[in-house]
Amino acid sequence: MNESPPAVQLDGLARRYGRDMVLSEVSLTIREGRIVVLQGPNGAGKTTLLKVLATRLRPSRGSARVFGFDTVREAHEVRSRTAMLPVFGGSYPTLTGAENLELATRLYGLRLTPSELEAALANVGLAGAAQKQVRGYSSGMKKRLGLARLRMAPAKLWLLDEPYAALDEEGKAYVDALLDEARSTGKTVLLASHEPERVAPLADAVLEVSGGTVRRSERFGVPATPVQAVPVRGG
Amino acid sequence: MNDFTPVLLIAGKDIRQELRSRAITVATLFFAAITLVILAFAVGSDEAILTQIAPGALWVALAFAGVISAAQSYAAEGEENAFEQLLLYPIPRASIYLGKLISNWVYMGFLALILLPTTAVLFDLPLGSHRGALLLTLALGTLGFALIATFYAALTANLRARDSLLPVLMFPVVVPILLAAVRATTSLMQFGNLEMASDWIQLLAGFDLAYLVVCTAIFRFVVDE
Repeated sequence: MNESPPAVQLDGLARRYGRDMVLSEVSLTIREGRIVVLQGPNGAGKTTLLKVLATRLRPSRGSARVFGFDTVREAHEVRSRTAMLPVFGGSYPTLTGAENLELATRLYGLRLTPSELEAALANVGLAGAAQKQVRGYSSGMKKRLGLARLRMAPAKLWLLDEPYAALDEEGKAYVDALLDEARSTGKTVLLASHEPERVAPLADAVLEVSGGTVRRSERFGVPATPVQAVPVRGG
Repeated sequence: MNDFTPVLLIAGKDIRQELRSRAITVATLFFAAITLVILAFAVGSDEAILTQIAPGALWVALAFAGVISAAQSYAAEGEENAFEQLLLYPIPRASIYLGKLISNWVYMGFLALILLPTTAVLFDLPLGSHRGALLLTLALGTLGFALIATFYAALTANLRARDSLLPVLMFPVVVPILLAAVRATTSLMQFGNLEMASDWIQLLAGFDLAYLVVCTAIFRFVVDE
């Protein structure tokens, strides 16, 4: 029987910026449908890892594959299967929330009715702000718009960079709900967070990114099944 | 999704943004108008010289304004890191280039339509009888300029010295377009010679086609690592 390829597979992945080696020799396999948290100090390489998987950065060495597709040679296939929530931004300030979301969904190849767009924005607490230009949004509202964009993407892998940043408690609850939804719909989620205590109960594994390597965190009592191979060479 | 749909979406998004902010329109119109006025006053009232330099003045004003327009169109993308997001959608890189090319061409075409009669009045040079050919020259000249400006503006968008590097890098490449455009405009407005102009117009069309193919093909190397 053919087994489907893992959602994420990193083989000896290294990434440098100039002379700084941010990630070195990271090997990791994440099976489809898992929720995995990356934690670690600022500059540890969490965002770099997410950007490699989102095809925005090339590995300096080694390889990264998403559902079996190489992030460099088959970048378009990878982009069709991934959606990324950046720490901030991603929207056009002079367009309204609804226009931004419509543009995003159209670029994903979807066509939503105005009421569907309104509903998607209401789902993240932006019902009253759908027709307001994004330049008038607070940081938290922009983040919510990013959550709406992520949720509408026809992606199997979600890459979330600090999803709780800039959000109030209500906003954070939307992220939690989103992770529940990911779990129930079988999406794979890789998220970087400085609030692992909050997200650990929702996750299958918490990985520590530090010193260019990735290893399973011992701090959080989460089920120890999904991440098949975690790392740990180089440094 | 049709391959051309993202192109139209990106162009439409840029134009809608500009209609709201008018950032490019205000900057380029003001700059181009000042350029024309200064040149006209510098030359003085000698009609012969005025009419001789009018086509060149028109294209100098358009070129300088075009640089501002292209740089500004990417500045708007960087404001909220939106360009990074744009690069994550499953669309061909060429669609992004062509979308931004169309919006930049629309700005420049709009500017040209305003600057042409302004130049005619300031430099006392009638538009002549070959207005269709004149409009075609403007269309092809601004397209050629937009092709190169859109490409190089993307190349320099993330650099600290982008404002000074953009004109330094793009003007040597855009010179053939500007020369052909100035020659075609001179032939039509000054001499009313359609035959002479048609050679330059064909050359312009050739340059446009070559730049379109090359820039579209290699744009992904500019925006990807």
